[in-house]
Amino acid sequence: MRGSVYIVGLFITTKRVALYRYSTMRLSKVSFRYRRRERYVIEDVHARLLPGELVELTGVNGAGKSTLLRLLAGVARPTSGTITDRPPVVAFAPDRFPAEQPFTVAGYLRWMSRVRGGARWEPWTERLSMTHLLDVRLGELSKGSAHKVGLAQALMADAGLLILDEPFAGLDDSTRAVLPGILAEVTARGGIAVVSDHQGVLRDLPAIRHWSLSGAQLIVRPAPLSPGPAFSDSTSAVEVTVPAGEVEAFLGRMRDEGYPARAVAREEAT
Amino acid sequence: MIALTAFRVAAYVRSHRVYQALLPILAMLAIIYSVRAPQGEEAAALTASAVLIIPFLAWSVRSLLDTEPGRQRVISATGAGSPLREEVAGLLASLVTSLAFAALALGCGLLLGLSATPPPAVLAMAVALHGLAVLAGLALGALTSRPILPSPALSTMGLVSGYLAMLLVGSSPVYWLTVPVTAWMRAADADRLAAELPHLAAVSLGWCLVALVGYGLLRRTRP
Repeated sequence: MRGSVYIVGLFITTKRVALYRYSTMRLSKVSFRYRRRERYVIEDVHARLLPGELVELTGVNGAGKSTLLRLLAGVARPTSGTITDRPPVVAFAPDRFPAEQPFTVAGYLRWMSRVRGGARWEPWTERLSMTHLLDVRLGELSKGSAHKVGLAQALMADAGLLILDEPFAGLDDSTRAVLPGILAEVTARGGIAVVSDHQGVLRDLPAIRHWSLSGAQLIVRPAPLSPGPAFSDSTSAVEVTVPAGEVEAFLGRMRDEGYPARAVAREEAT
Repeated sequence: MIALTAFRVAAYVRSHRVYQALLPILAMLAIIYSVRAPQGEEAAALTASAVLIIPFLAWSVRSLLDTEPGRQRVISATGAGSPLREEVAGLLASLVTSLAFAALALGCGLLLGLSATPPPAVLAMAVALHGLAVLAGLALGALTSRPILPSPALSTMGLVSGYLAMLLVGSSPVYWLTVPVTAWMRAADADRLAAELPHLAAVSLGWCLVALVGYGLLRRTRP
């Protein structure tokens, strides 16, 4: 076996190849607990987030979804383990927008735009149907309207990693219908979107990966074996030569990422 | 980070929490400067102003840092690029407001509290002591802010106890175990401030830096 190599066939869409301006974000042995001697909320999580990937995170109340999202966003540190290659620009929309702040909607978004270095927030107020709310004080907003402000401040960032904690909670039907398309745009330009979703609005999207938290463990459901309708219009076969001992691991990684990979031929090294 | 600092100051002012610190400071200044200090006692009067303003500055810092809701802290941290930048922006905003309050106190002292214009050396020492008061208030307020002490009761007690510790320990032989504010006043009363200020300032500055580093370390586990 020593010295032999395998040629492995891969089907990679041309659209997908163009997405790799960000690197893959990795979680290695990530555990988290709030205090010593308390139980772990997240325990020994291994996962990867690929550029252009949309992840739906589910779990019962108190499973640790918001904690995992904060770890992903980089605002909480793992108790042990590492999170590497996080995209440089991260945006986060919390499950409940903090409306107890002394600004109008427009005033608040203008401040967040300055914090983001002049990001354009106006188009998002139109897409999220909230232009009529611009002069309303944050404290006077309904729950759904306040939630839209939280989404707008996150979406304006053009982030490489977009994290939305329960984005559909309290939203009106028209905005609820628009949001999956916005997420598709984020992933189409190579961004990673991670969404916790109790309502299951995203569940049937073809290109989505499903993560589930249960008993502090993250269950990563295998990605679909076919690239899916979004990528089926233009595919290429790629030949990769790898050492024989690494074939299974390599194929596993590629399948993990959604590519239908298989070993094609074995060659003896000369 | 400058934009986030300005956002924090704007939130503090627009929420009217700024008046919770401004009004007591004005009341304190009206009391201590109700009688003008006689000529030759300018250093003692201005030092007393620097010592007495510390708890109000700490209250102001705590109030400014607590103006930001917890979920906004997460939004701000991601917007600024890291939790560290969010922390620094909060401290910078607190520093800016505290400097404004300290300048107000010093200005009132110079205009209303003294019988004669102090010599430049005394003025320079008063400016230095008010600067140290700002740092002491910043450290005490940050360490009693909500991310560190979520309970309002514990936070208030911590702030008052911290200031009392400065007063009591500062008057003891082991004054170097805290920001020695009482030692500042004693030195000013005894007309030894010029000689003792470098040593007292070094001790004060050291404790303020230790407290601010401690705040930074504690915030690592309390985002």
